[in-house]
Amino acid sequence: MFDDIPVEVGLIHVGERIRKNDMYVEFGGPDIKEKFELVRVRKSDQVTDGKITVIGPDISAMDPQKKYPFGILIEIAGSQLEEDIEGVIERRIHEYCNYIEGFMHLNQRYDIWVRLSKKAFNKGFTSLSYVGKVLERLLKSELPIIESMQITFYTDAKEISLVYEEAKKAYETRDARARGLTDEEVEVFYGCALCQSFAPSHVCVITPQRYANCGAISWFDGRAAARIDPKGPIFSIEKGVCLDKEMGEYSGVNESAKKRSLGEVNRVYLYSAFKYPHTSCGCFEGIAFYIPEVEGFGTVMRGYRDVTVNGLPFSTMADSTAGGRQVDGFHGISLEYMRSPKFLASDGGFARIVWMPSDLKEQLRSFIPPDLFDKIATEKDVKTIEELKKFLADREHPVCDRWEETALTPSEEIALHGPVYSVGDLPITSAGFKIIFKNARIYADRVTIQPVKSKKPEKEK
Amino acid sequence: MEILSRKSINIKIKELKSDIGNIKDLELSIGKFSEEKWTEAEGPTPFPSITALREWDKKLLDRYKPFYLPFCDLCCLCTYGKCDLTGNKRGACGIHMSAQQSRTVLLASCIGAATHISHARELVTYAIKKFGTDYPLDPGGLAVEVEAPIIRLVCGVKPEKLGDLETVLDYLENQLTQLLSVTHTGQEGNNLDFESKVFHAGMIDQVGMEVADIAQISVFGFPKADPDAPLVDLGMSVVDTKKPVILVIGHNVPPAIQIIDYLKDKRLSEEVEVTGICCTAIDATRYSSKVKIIGPMSWQLRYIRSGIPDVIVVDEQCIRTDNLIEAEKIRAPFIATSEKNCLGLPDRTRDSADDIVADLVSRKNLGVLILDPEKVGEVAVKTARAVAPKRKKSRTSLSTEEIIEQAKTCNQCKMCRRSCPNDLHIPDSMKAAGKGNIGMIGDMYEECIGCARCEQACPETIPIHNIIVSAATQRTKNESFRIRAGRGAIQDIEIRKVGGPIVLGEIPGIVAFVGCSNYPKGGKEVAEMCIEFARRRYIVCTSGCAAMSAAMYKNEDGKTPYELFPGTFDAGGIVNVGSCVANSHIAGAAVKIASIFARRTLRGNYEEIADYVYNRVGAVGVAWGAMSQKAAAIASGFWRLGIPVVVGPHGTKYRRMLLGRADREQDWYVHDRRSGEKVYVGPVPEHLFFAAETKEEAMVMIAKLCMRPNDTSKGRAIKLTHYIDLHRRLFGTTPDDAHLFVRTLTDIPITMKEDLTKILREKGWKETIIPDPTLLVNQVEKRGVR
Repeated sequence: MFDDIPVEVGLIHVGERIRKNDMYVEFGGPDIKEKFELVRVRKSDQVTDGKITVIGPDISAMDPQKKYPFGILIEIAGSQLEEDIEGVIERRIHEYCNYIEGFMHLNQRYDIWVRLSKKAFNKGFTSLSYVGKVLERLLKSELPIIESMQITFYTDAKEISLVYEEAKKAYETRDARARGLTDEEVEVFYGCALCQSFAPSHVCVITPQRYANCGAISWFDGRAAARIDPKGPIFSIEKGVCLDKEMGEYSGVNESAKKRSLGEVNRVYLYSAFKYPHTSCGCFEGIAFYIPEVEGFGTVMRGYRDVTVNGLPFSTMADSTAGGRQVDGFHGISLEYMRSPKFLASDGGFARIVWMPSDLKEQLRSFIPPDLFDKIATEKDVKTIEELKKFLADREHPVCDRWEETALTPSEEIALHGPVYSVGDLPITSAGFKIIFKNARIYADRVTIQPVKSKKPEKEK
Repeated sequence: MEILSRKSINIKIKELKSDIGNIKDLELSIGKFSEEKWTEAEGPTPFPSITALREWDKKLLDRYKPFYLPFCDLCCLCTYGKCDLTGNKRGACGIHMSAQQSRTVLLASCIGAATHISHARELVTYAIKKFGTDYPLDPGGLAVEVEAPIIRLVCGVKPEKLGDLETVLDYLENQLTQLLSVTHTGQEGNNLDFESKVFHAGMIDQVGMEVADIAQISVFGFPKADPDAPLVDLGMSVVDTKKPVILVIGHNVPPAIQIIDYLKDKRLSEEVEVTGICCTAIDATRYSSKVKIIGPMSWQLRYIRSGIPDVIVVDEQCIRTDNLIEAEKIRAPFIATSEKNCLGLPDRTRDSADDIVADLVSRKNLGVLILDPEKVGEVAVKTARAVAPKRKKSRTSLSTEEIIEQAKTCNQCKMCRRSCPNDLHIPDSMKAAGKGNIGMIGDMYEECIGCARCEQACPETIPIHNIIVSAATQRTKNESFRIRAGRGAIQDIEIRKVGGPIVLGEIPGIVAFVGCSNYPKGGKEVAEMCIEFARRRYIVCTSGCAAMSAAMYKNEDGKTPYELFPGTFDAGGIVNVGSCVANSHIAGAAVKIASIFARRTLRGNYEEIADYVYNRVGAVGVAWGAMSQKAAAIASGFWRLGIPVVVGPHGTKYRRMLLGRADREQDWYVHDRRSGEKVYVGPVPEHLFFAAETKEEAMVMIAKLCMRPNDTSKGRAIKLTHYIDLHRRLFGTTPDDAHLFVRTLTDIPITMKEDLTKILREKGWKETIIPDPTLLVNQVEKRGVR
C-alpha cells in the first residue's frame, strides 16, 4: 500500500515525538500565525481525483531547521457525502499524519504543529506529496463513500492567506451550526456501545445537546460513525415520541435502552439526575453530585485532586456513580454537556449548581448565566457544607428558595447507640417450645457486625 | 459493651431464664469482632478454602493443559525412593510423572508464597509494635479509594487499620499449611488438582504481597501511588567511595530504614553512603532518595568483591548464602538481621550497641546476628564509620597483568562453560585473555548472571568471575543510571482515565516486567523490551529486580528508560511500582478496572472478577529472568486471574507450561452474556504460561497475548497491528495465524488491508460476532437470558 513512500507508514509510529534537534523542518506551530487543515465537500466536477498540489516551496526547497506556514486543504466528492462529515474527516488528518514515520502532527484546525525528522528527510522524504498520498489512500480505504479526492498543501506565506480566511470562516460556520442545533430539531439520536464492553448495562445516548459522557463523541461524530460503519459500536436511535419534554424522555430512547441493557434500564430522562437519569459508564469526564443539605448540585471533573465540598474526592464519588447504573443524584457528565442549554435542565440547570472547582468555573465562564456566576462557590470560597450553606444564603443563590419548603422534613437517618449485639439476639425464635441449653458452647472464628440501618416494619405473613 | 477493639471475647452464662427458654452453662467464644461499615454485597467466596475455586481453575486448565517438562525424572522425597518415573512408570506411592511435576510446582509455589507471607507477617508485626493496631492504612491518599483490591477480592474484607491485616494473615497462614500438606506422600494424586492448588498458592501469595506493601507504604510514608516518585541513582559508579559505605541486601526493609533514620538523627546523612542490592534497595529508595541502588540480585558478588562496602547488612530472601565468606575476604563486618537467615552467627540482639561495634571492628566477631532493626541501625553506622578509614578498600579485583597471568593457567577443560547456566564462551575468552586480549572476557560481563558456578567448577581454581568483572572495569566505571523510585499502587483516577482508551484500543495492553535477574542474555534485554512497548504506547509496569534491570540502559543522549518515559499508568508510561511485594499493585490495577468500570463487586467475588479480567483486560506478565520460588508463586497468582505470563528460557525449569491449542476450535468458545449463545472467539489469549527462547520471540508473544475476546474492532485492529508488525520486524514474515484473530472485517488494521484480506481468503475465514464474553454460565443467567 505504501511501497512508493520512502518511510514506513503504520499505527506503530503514532506515539513518535520529534524533538527540536532531530527535526528537519517545522510546519505551522506556535510561531507561525497562518496554518490550518480543512476538509471541504465539493461537487464531483470540482475535484480531480488523485491530484496533489504543493503551492509554495516543497520540502526539498526548504531551508533546514526553518519554520514555514502550512495549510492542508482536502477536497472530496461523493454522492453520499454531506457537509456535516467534513469535521469528522478533518480530525483523521491528525491520526493518519502520525502514521508516517518521522512526521509528527500535533493539535488540530488552526493550531496545527507539524515536524519532519532529519532521518525521514535523509531517507528521501523530500516532498509533501508523500503526505498527500498517505492521506488519500488511508482516507479512501477507511471511508469508501469518498469517491474522489484532491489535496493541496500551502507553504507560501502570501498564497496561504486567502485560503486561511476561508478555513477560519468554515470552522466558525460549522461551530455555530453545531452549537445551534437542538434536540428537538433532529429525528435521530445516536447510541454508543463502546463502553458496554466494560460496563455492560451502560447505554450512552448522544444528542445534539447532550455530548457522550466521555466528551469524545458529538452528535455529528455519531452520525458520521454510524453512516461509515453501520455494524459498528455507534448506532442510530430513532427518537420516537417525546414523552416528557422537560425531562427529555423519548419513546425511542427508552426502547433502545431496554433492548441494549437487556431490560436493566427501561426509561431514560436525558436532562435530569433523578429518577431515571442517563446511565454513567466509567469514563465520564466529570460528575454532577447532589448535596442534599443545600438541595443543589456540585460538579467536579476527573482531574480534580482534592476533596470536594461534601468531603469526598472525585474517586470516591466516581465509585458511587459508575458501572452503567442509574444512580439518583450521582451523575456522570462530559464537559461539553455543561456548555449545553439542556445541562440538567429539568433539575434547574446552572440555577441548581452550587459548587465547582475554580478552574472549571473559569473554563465555563461564558456559559454560566452572569447573574449566577458569583453565587456558585468554589474550593477557594468554602471548604465544608456549613460554609457552603452560609455562602449560598449570603449571596441569595436560587436554591435557597427551596430550603424553607422542606425544612420540616425529618432526617431519615436514625442514630444508633448501645450494643448491636446481645444475648437476646440469639436466633432462638421458635416460640411455643421450651429450649434449654445445657453446657452449650458456641464458637465463631469471626463475627461480623453490621450497623443496622433504618429497618422497615416487617410485613405480616 | 466494649467489644469492638478486642481481639477475642468469651461470654459465659451460668443460667438464663427467658420467655423463649432456659439457658444453662452457655459459653460463647468469639475469635474476633470487626465493626463493619462496608455495604458492598458479599460474593460467594470470601476467604476461599483450597477447593473453593476449583471449578474456575478447571475451566482455565481445560483450555491450557499443562505441558510437562520434567527437569528431573526421579522422585526422591520419601524413603521409598528414588523412584524412576520415566515412561509411564508410577512411583512406589503410586504417583505418576504428571502429578509429580505438578507436586513440585506446588512445593515451589508454597515456598514462594510462604516467603512473601512470612515477610508480610514480619512487617505487620513490626509495624504494629511501633505504630499500634489502629494505625490507618493509606496506600494512596485521596487518589485511591479501592485501597486493597486483592484483599477485598479474595478475603472479602476491607482493611482500614494495621490490625485488620492480621486477620488476613491468619487466613493466609492457614491456607498455606493446608497447601503444603497436600504435597505429602500419599495425598493428592491428580495432576490437575495439584495445578488447581498451585493457583490457590499463587492467589494467596498475591494477597500476602499486597498486605506487605500496603503496610509498609502506610507506616513508612513511601510514595503513595505517585506517578512522579523521584528519580534515584543506580549503578556501581554512583557510590562515593570516599565515604564509609554500608551495603544492605534482601527484601525486608526495616533494618535499612533504621540505618537511614539513625543517620538522619545524628546528622550523618551526608557522611555515610547507604547502598543496596535487590528489593531492600528499591524499598529503601522509596523511603529516602539518598539511598543508592547498586543493581539486581546478580550484582552481589561483583559489588562485594569490588571492596567498596565497609559493612554488609543482610535481611531475607535471595541473598547469596556465601556472602559471609565473601565479606570476610574484603574484611567487611557482616550483620544478619532476620530470624530466617541466621547463618550460624552469634545472637547479639541483647548486647549493647557499642559492645557489638567493638567486637566487629576488632574482628573478634566477623559477623553478628541482631534481631532488632533499631540496634542494627546504630551498629551498622558506627561500625562503618569505625572500619572505613582503617579498612583499606581491600578488593579482590585483578589488574590486567594479573588477569593474563591467571588466564594462562587455564587448561581448556571447559568445565566452566559446562557449568555456566548461560553457556558463556568462557574457555575461548580465557584463551584470548592468556594471549593478552581481555576484551572478549570483559564482554561477558553483560550476560553474566553472577552465579560464579564457573569458579566452583574450575579445577585450576581460577577466579573466573573476578576475571570477568575485572576485565569489565571500564563498564562498571560507567555504571550510572537513574531509576524512578517505586510508586506503589495505581490511582483509581488513572484507571478511570485509561479504562476508556483500553476499551477503545488506543492502549494495546499492559505489560508487566517482574521477577528476578536470571536472564539468558543480560538485563539489557529487559530495558530494550520496556522501551519497545512503551514506544508502542503500551502501559509498561516494572517491579523488583526487573525494575532495576530496566534502568540499566542509556540511549544515545545518555537517558535511561525512566527518564525517557513518564511514570504514569498511561499509554507510553514506564511504571515502577516498587519491590517484589509491590507487584501485587499490577494485578490490583487489573482488578480495579473491573471494579471501577463495570462496578463489579470485588468482595469475595473471585471467580467473576477473574473471568472479567481474563476476557477483557489485555495484560501480560513477563518474568524474563524468573529464578526463585517466589517468581513461581507470582506467576501462579497471575494465572488464576487469567493473566498470561511469559518467561525466559530458564523458566522451563519450572517444569511445565500452560499452553493453549489454537488448532482446536472447540477450545475457544465463550458464552455470550447477551444471548446466552456459545460463540467462537479465536485463541485469545493463546497461552497462559509460555517460555520464550529469545527476546524476539518473547516480544511477538507478548503482543499476541494482549488480545482478548472482548476487544472492540478498533482495539483488535491496533493489537493486531503490533503483533503483525513485530512479527515482520523480528522474524521477517507475516504470522501464519493472523486470520485467527480477525472476527469481522473492521478488525483488520487499515494499513494491512490488502495483505490480510488475501490471507483471509486463502484460509477460508468466516466472519463471527464480538460477544459479551464469559466462561461462566451463571454470568449469563444473571442477565436474565437463558
